[in-house]
Amino acid sequence: MRAEARFFKSLADETRLKILWLLLEGGELCVCDVIGALGITQSKASRHLRYLYHLGWVTDRREGLLMNYRLCVPPGSPGEKQLKLLTEMFDSLPEAQALRAHLHEWLGKKRQPKVRDAPEEKEVSSIEPSL
Amino acid sequence: MKKEAQLFKSLADETRLRILWLLMAKEELCVCDIMGVLGITQSKASRHLRYLYHLGWVTDRREAVWMNYRLSVAPGSPEDKQLKLLADILSSRPEAQALKDRLEQWLAAKGQSKEGAASEGAAACQCS
Repeated sequence: MRAEARFFKSLADETRLKILWLLLEGGELCVCDVIGALGITQSKASRHLRYLYHLGWVTDRREGLLMNYRLCVPPGSPGEKQLKLLTEMFDSLPEAQALRAHLHEWLGKKRQPKVRDAPEEKEVSSIEPSL
Repeated sequence: MKKEAQLFKSLADETRLRILWLLMAKEELCVCDIMGVLGITQSKASRHLRYLYHLGWVTDRREAVWMNYRLSVAPGSPEDKQLKLLADILSSRPEAQALKDRLEQWLAAKGQSKEGAASEGAAACQCS
């Protein structure tokens, strides 16, 4: 049951739970979104995202200088069932709701200044972490 | 979300997963059952059981010198749903099935060895 213990270990960290929660809400997010929404350093965000990547929770996509991440659990897999249960647990948690609002606020702010130039595709890569 | 991280931390250990799996198979087990089936020392079994106790996964009942443990999650609680998911994940694992078989064998052997003894608890005390 080593694999299962490792599976749960990947969830046994507050920051990783928050990242998964953001990805459940935001679809694909760039490292800078995780940094902005959680108020953590790039090194911490990247470290946890790489951890989640190696455990198979997320997949990555490079865009310019930044990495984008999205959830990649196969339908019907233990990971998917776990994420559903996690969503259920967090849906009633004020802290998780606040985080969700914070993410949308962050994404809204990020989009605002560039509505007039460049097509949306390019926008993400041009965002620099604001920390 | 600290509480949830802690919940998962309590599952992030192979021995604790095995103990929970055994307790899902049998309503109540004594420390000596856990020791016998998993082949671990009393100190290790007790340590993990106390950990699970403090996190609210199990409740205890003393019987002579041995402690008995059973699951104590409230129906419908996140922990209850988490245990069901765990059972779902583990039920397809040959290793988990083998562990269940070993538990049956262990309990059967224990039942035989105490033939004539007054109660299961009395046998449990002698089984190691």
